[in-house]
Amino acid sequence: MASAIVTDSRLTDRKWIARGEERTSLSRFLLWLTPWAAVLAVGIYAAGLCLYYGLNQTNMDNRFAFGLWIFLDLGIIALGAGAFFTGFLVYILKRAELRPILNTAVVVGFICYSGAVAILMIDVGQPLRAWFTFWHPNTHSMLTEVTFCISCYLLVLSLEYIPILLRNRQLRKVPSFLVFEHQLHKLVPVLAGVGTLLSFFHQGSLGGLYGVLRGRPFAFREGFFIWPSTFFLFILSAIASGPSFLMLVTATVEKVTGKRLVPPELFRRLGFISGILLAIYVAAKSIDTLIWLNITSPAVGFAPWQYYIHKPFGTPILFAEIVLLGLLPAFLLTYRKTAARRGWLLSAAALACAGILLNRFVLTVQTLAVPTLPFDEFLQYTPSWQEVASFGGVIAYGVIVYSLSYRYLPLFAAPKGENTHVSGD
Amino acid sequence: MFPGIDGFHWTATHVVFLSLFFAIVVTILTTIVSAVWRTTRDFRTSRAIELCWKSDFAELPESDRRCRHELAGRVISRTCDNAFDCRHCEKYSQFAVLPATGLATDLGLNYPDDRLYHRGHTWVKAAEDGTFTIGLDELADHLIGNPDSIKMPAIGAELEINQTAWRMTKNENEIQVRAPLEGTVVSVGGPNEGWFLKIQPRLDPRDPTTLRHLLRGPEVHGWLSRELERLQLQLRAPNTPAALADGGVLMPGLMDAVPGADWNTVLADTFLEA
Repeated sequence: MASAIVTDSRLTDRKWIARGEERTSLSRFLLWLTPWAAVLAVGIYAAGLCLYYGLNQTNMDNRFAFGLWIFLDLGIIALGAGAFFTGFLVYILKRAELRPILNTAVVVGFICYSGAVAILMIDVGQPLRAWFTFWHPNTHSMLTEVTFCISCYLLVLSLEYIPILLRNRQLRKVPSFLVFEHQLHKLVPVLAGVGTLLSFFHQGSLGGLYGVLRGRPFAFREGFFIWPSTFFLFILSAIASGPSFLMLVTATVEKVTGKRLVPPELFRRLGFISGILLAIYVAAKSIDTLIWLNITSPAVGFAPWQYYIHKPFGTPILFAEIVLLGLLPAFLLTYRKTAARRGWLLSAAALACAGILLNRFVLTVQTLAVPTLPFDEFLQYTPSWQEVASFGGVIAYGVIVYSLSYRYLPLFAAPKGENTHVSGD
Repeated sequence: MFPGIDGFHWTATHVVFLSLFFAIVVTILTTIVSAVWRTTRDFRTSRAIELCWKSDFAELPESDRRCRHELAGRVISRTCDNAFDCRHCEKYSQFAVLPATGLATDLGLNYPDDRLYHRGHTWVKAAEDGTFTIGLDELADHLIGNPDSIKMPAIGAELEINQTAWRMTKNENEIQVRAPLEGTVVSVGGPNEGWFLKIQPRLDPRDPTTLRHLLRGPEVHGWLSRELERLQLQLRAPNTPAALADGGVLMPGLMDAVPGADWNTVLADTFLEA
């Protein structure tokens, strides 16, 4: 009886997997999901506590208002930029060679943005009043732009995800789903264009948000018109790290599944794009840092050394951010000999992603920790277990959604083309 | 905008920012509405079935999308990129005049020459009254044997080419058989009758292009030998290397004889399911 049920489950599961695709057994797949589901469950519980009791469940306060959650938001939104940037390259710039990775880029983007919005909902609190931000917008705030753009872009990503979802083997048997998928897919270039515009502004505004903090000289920057330089640095760093993150995700799936999912040439192409953009970012960041240390900061009464006397935020962090996790991966990703070797390529991609995460971490935490007034002191903040659990919950959510998508959806479907050889040719 | 909010005054920033935002929202909503409207239109104009078939065709493995001229040995290798629609294939005439080079051997199955064959394992035979009789070919018949249940279309129903013509279940597997031809159902049969449908074709049967998409002559042998080869590989014992049998004929009632095989995949391949 029990074995019959197991066999039935396997047969049912097999029917949902794309024809010709080999996937691990259902039991092994469930075993893989179990720990992640446990982490997600704890995360949901912690999030529930935060929503029910309020932010006293966290170790944030009026002075340290940005913590682990905002770092997570900034980090995953930057890494999720691969979605809009790949869409932009494929649909707007017609780089068809990136098409095999487009579906996975959409799923990764969807996970990153939905995770970010979920954690923002916990952070802001009172989700039933979420609509207030649209009806009572502060049009002078960078955060309003961020809220509007992220909400819209999550809708765009959902619309881009739907055609992938509807290509599931069982869902596609419903004719209306299949035709809707076909028609929506035809309109995806419009969505890609809208996504690019939205991403450009919200990635920038997230950076601009720090740049306009006049009372926090560590982050404050002068800039162009209403936009501080961090606006442009965030855009550049996001589109530089997005392709690298996609490469890492794909390589990880290839390692776990033991399959070659995309052609090696695609990795080199993504690496090159990422490397060039990273090099431009590093150059811009270096110029920005020099201007900030020598002009912007002294003008508001801060000597550069004052930022780096508090351990662990010494100058090695600045060196790591610009050279070790910026210049070095940019070189490794673009230099022909290292880019030709998968190990170097993936290591460089990991360094690039780590560099962008470090940048977001430093801008979030060091900005708030460094004292700005004579009677002020260096602040330390350690996240509460509820913050850590919510953080882990979002990561687990991402792993679960991606695992399910990989198992049941055509994430790496190879394009099918014409192949004609006539007798006697 | 924002009625009821005390102290709100329009400024140029509001106008620019909110115009941009709502332009984006309108674009997204228009995209959704447009996709829904196009979907509805496709169903009204029967284009939906063609789209579904083309989408399914694109998902078929390349081995299932071989051109009929390759099957007949007229070309070395050619993948169909026209959803098996030889009626509108620009290359059809160019290759059809080439001599077939395939070697015909006895495959142990009966595929009479007076019938035409669809890749979804159905046959079509013209009747004197201008209707066409449609049945399952012998390979499909050997696979399924006696189906557990059959759901046939109603008499008078309009069928589109490659649409699901009728459904069967066998050992909890659902089988969807594609229509080899478009037309109106005039009679319904079953396994015991030796045929499943009689239809009045929508297109003129005297027009040579009407039945052009159906396989005939040496193409049938080439296609069938590949189908048998695929079947042998798919039905081999688990965890054994691929090997081809050197003789023998297909036994009837295979789904009952080999219940442990991956019938989900076998049936999908056989009946052109994505």
